[in-house]
Amino acid sequence: MWFVRFLTSSIGKKMVMAVTGLCLILFLCVHAAGNVTIFVGSAVFQGYAENLHSHPVIVFIFRVGLLALFLIHIGVGLLLWQEGRKEGKNRYVVNTWVSKNPYAMSTMPYTGLFILFFVLIHVFGFAVAPTHDQMISHVIDDALSNFFYVLLYLAGFAALFIHLSHGFWSMLQTVGINHPRYNTLIARATWVVPGGFLCFFSLIALYLLTTSTY
Amino acid sequence: MSEINLTLKIWRQPNAEAEGKVETYSVENISTDSSFLEMLDVLNEKLTHEGVDPVAFDHDCREGICGMCGAVVNGVAHGPEKETTLCQLHMRHFKNGDTIVIEPFRSRAFPIYKDLMIDRSAFDRIIQAGGYTNVNTGGTPDANSVRISSQQLELAMDAAACIGCGACVASCPNGSAMLFTSAKVSQLALLPQGQVERKERAQAMVQCMDGEGFGHCTNTKECEAVCPKGISISNIARLNREFLKGIFTGRDD
Ligand code: HEM
Ligand code: FES
Repeated sequence: MWFVRFLTSSIGKKMVMAVTGLCLILFLCVHAAGNVTIFVGSAVFQGYAENLHSHPVIVFIFRVGLLALFLIHIGVGLLLWQEGRKEGKNRYVVNTWVSKNPYAMSTMPYTGLFILFFVLIHVFGFAVAPTHDQMISHVIDDALSNFFYVLLYLAGFAALFIHLSHGFWSMLQTVGINHPRYNTLIARATWVVPGGFLCFFSLIALYLLTTSTY
Repeated sequence: MSEINLTLKIWRQPNAEAEGKVETYSVENISTDSSFLEMLDVLNEKLTHEGVDPVAFDHDCREGICGMCGAVVNGVAHGPEKETTLCQLHMRHFKNGDTIVIEPFRSRAFPIYKDLMIDRSAFDRIIQAGGYTNVNTGGTPDANSVRISSQQLELAMDAAACIGCGACVASCPNGSAMLFTSAKVSQLALLPQGQVERKERAQAMVQCMDGEGFGHCTNTKECEAVCPKGISISNIARLNREFLKGIFTGRDD
């Protein structure tokens, strides 16, 4: 069947990575937009959170959707990683790398798994563990007043930055977007988009660390 | 012209099944005007005189157009010069006393015949999988009846410059043949003559490529960096588009 042929082909698997990666990036944009309320004030953020959870169906769909995206992205990512390793890391006596910046590219599975580790802690701490009578604005402030907790968050954002500094343009190349008119723009966006996430999310963590009364 | 002495560490493997190992040889008074393959010729002459089996390596045109030659030199396919095949690499790029490590192009899909000689027939099978291309035969067509813009023509020519040497596969950490396959798909996708079979061609060639044991593309750009013909990875993006179009809108099943 054509769809099975698509999914089992090497290009098809990469397209699955690209599309799920894009969805995750879009989710991060929405997540970041919502989190702007943190800077406005604790009451506004609390209001945003309560408003969000007064629509249980939407929250449920988002959760299931995100979980599916994550599982597919991670599953296919690890499968591709495994397949790529068939060639063997040390097939040559001398290994020389010619092209630029291979670090982000060759560490994709590791930065990816670190993001997963971060996400598990993040979701557990801010969505699973808090009881109903705890106010979410207090939960995040309590957690992110701890220097080491903030450090872990910064490390998670850094991993995301590195992951996307290869992933962003790679995603576009995989779906066939490569055109001399746009390539400079894409190269810039590959730093600006991950850099934007890094700065914005880090700012939240540092803001909560440094404000004593939230 | 000057002359240099070199230490060579070369992969020796008597046949596909045997275990290979690196052997060290020295060559003296190599003219810096000679090519890399001529330097190997000098070594082989010396080895033959000594009664040692000469180093087997592929070569044919020795002018950078046939795609037969190729080895990994100090970790780089076709050696240190950009957009240069091994046969066109000259010894003036090396210094007296250098040690040069020479290994065959390695890939799961390229079994080693002997020493530096590899079996690249998997590439031929990818080409065959692409099938035929319809062209009008019969009376001589009017000179300008098939029209193509010069820009389109140049893009097709850039893709057609691929000589199928396998350096892309040899240098890709996944052993992917995407640069090769994308160049072959592109040269036909860009020409007016290649349109009828377009959708089936990309699918069939990718399916064959996967089946031959080549890996997937992780967009490392390493293939583009070592390609002696400067084939651009924009061809890979085109192959991705062709594959997508073919598999989602093709009529075969
Ligand atoms: C919010 C989190 C994440 C985002 C936004 C994200 C985004 C992306 C994007 C855009 C790509 C490029 C796809 C392509 O090359 O076509 C990618 C590739 C990849 N991701 Fe993620 N990712 C995330 C989490 C993860 C996690 C948790 C893993 C766990 C292993 C992971 C593993 C990988 C791997 C291995 C690749 C490379 C696949 C390949 O090129 O062969 N990612 N990611
Ligand atoms: S021998 Fe023909 S390309 Fe090198």
